[in-house]
Amino acid sequence: MSIKIIKKGLSDTIQDYGRYGYQHLGIQPNGYMDFISAWLANKILEKDIHDPVFEIHFPSSQLLFENDHTICITGANFIPVINEKSIVLNKPVHVKAGEILSMLQPIHGKTCYVSVQEKLLNSQWLSSHANSKPLKIGDIFEYKNQEQNKAPKNDYSALINEVTQMVFNNHAPIRILPGPAWPLLNKAALVSILSSNFLISASANRMGFNIIGPTLSINVPNTFLSSAVCFGTLQLLPNGNIIVLMADHQTTGGYANLGQIILVDLPRFAQLHPSQPFNFELCDLDQANQLYLYLYEKFKH
Amino acid sequence: MNLKIKQWKVHTLGDHAIVFALEQKISPLIVNEIAALHSFIISKKIKGIIDIIPAYHTLTLVYDIINFTNNNNNSISEQINLMCTTLLNEFNNAPKINNSIQATIINVPVCYDPSFALDIQNLSTLHNIKTSEIIKIHSSKVYEIYSIGFLPGFPYMGIIDERIQTPRHDKPRPLVPAGSVGIAGQQTGIYPSDCPGGWQILGRTPWKIFDPNENKLAKFKVGDQIKFYAITIADFIKMNEHQL
Repeated sequence: MSIKIIKKGLSDTIQDYGRYGYQHLGIQPNGYMDFISAWLANKILEKDIHDPVFEIHFPSSQLLFENDHTICITGANFIPVINEKSIVLNKPVHVKAGEILSMLQPIHGKTCYVSVQEKLLNSQWLSSHANSKPLKIGDIFEYKNQEQNKAPKNDYSALINEVTQMVFNNHAPIRILPGPAWPLLNKAALVSILSSNFLISASANRMGFNIIGPTLSINVPNTFLSSAVCFGTLQLLPNGNIIVLMADHQTTGGYANLGQIILVDLPRFAQLHPSQPFNFELCDLDQANQLYLYLYEKFKH
Repeated sequence: MNLKIKQWKVHTLGDHAIVFALEQKISPLIVNEIAALHSFIISKKIKGIIDIIPAYHTLTLVYDIINFTNNNNNSISEQINLMCTTLLNEFNNAPKINNSIQATIINVPVCYDPSFALDIQNLSTLHNIKTSEIIKIHSSKVYEIYSIGFLPGFPYMGIIDERIQTPRHDKPRPLVPAGSVGIAGQQTGIYPSDCPGGWQILGRTPWKIFDPNENKLAKFKVGDQIKFYAITIADFIKMNEHQL
């Protein structure tokens, strides 16, 4: 069984939980930009939530299904169509051999996920399918039908509703935990970060999002030795601008580390459109970890 | 969370990492201590730790909260606090292995021929030092690996002799070939793969220092000691592990 890429998208990839255990060698983890939508796509197909999925942006790739498959699309709505017939999001969809999946037009969100019920066999490196290399024409993904693959029949609308309200409320601030350079900021800069509206620049990609807001008057020395950074790190550049490191971040960085976005707010941050203003709010470690644990438990049961 | 135990400072990084930090300084003593704590923590096989990343003066543990904490009554931050305190106390009381004596020096061949040494002529003019002297200075010192990052397998080494210290190019070169050996500021490094880059290139090693083969990966690790030795173009061709 296989799925073939027949048209290249802007920057589509295959992602999973991420390739951990190799950052000491400079190998980035990669992984989902919006883990909640990826988990949902897998959950609706009753798969392991950390399984590989296609991560699709707009303009998107076209996928040719060479066999029958059951798929589920979550996250951004780009009006997905199978052979020009539109299909629903957040539900299992049966695709017949020879059919093509395309995306017509971005309606909301920036990233959508396509989970495939069958088991992906190839394209693994160091125990993970996560990859920073974009899909290209001719790429073939081999799948295996698993004995236990039954038609998914559970109704997940309650889970979808709860998660959407909890994670994708676009009016809530993006919560951060202060980083090593936070205490070095002067009062004006602190007020500026916590009370201003920011926008994501149009050049945002899987490596990082430049954010546009007030330029901070800097009194932070730019003399930091490189140290590990993570998905969600806010780096203050010497010119007073902030860049937020995303899933394809390098393993270490030497710019002033202002703080990190908490894990449960990363999916919404990753999906923000350049025209949607947002602001930051401080959070605490216990609250951040408990929110993540709460969500994980919801998906596990 | 912020802790201080002897010379160590411990703080959390966001909601899924913990940083153990020493004095912020490029120093062989400090990076050896970081490498020692790294080995110690690996030997503890702590559940839920998914990455341990050493760099210069820090060691960062990345955790997955799902497998990391117990269902006891302590808050997560209290549990992390307790774990870090116990770890550091055990580490500080464990018998010290002197890494700097035990570590073997890895001799790395470098061809400093002008066809590979894209910037050596400019550096010679800039510092008013003969190219042969630059080569001698660069290859006579033992360097410590302080960090691996930027690209898979890219080693940051130092400290290079003051006479040849040079800032990186203002504008990165669109393509630096794999194996290129460069300097920037106080540091020297090796490009593991073809990539844009701003370091001043002094030569090229025939060694493949990063191989995606799962049994090979990066040739060096943080704390390793490296010494370069000059080879001819003929040697380079004989030893070349790069794809032509």
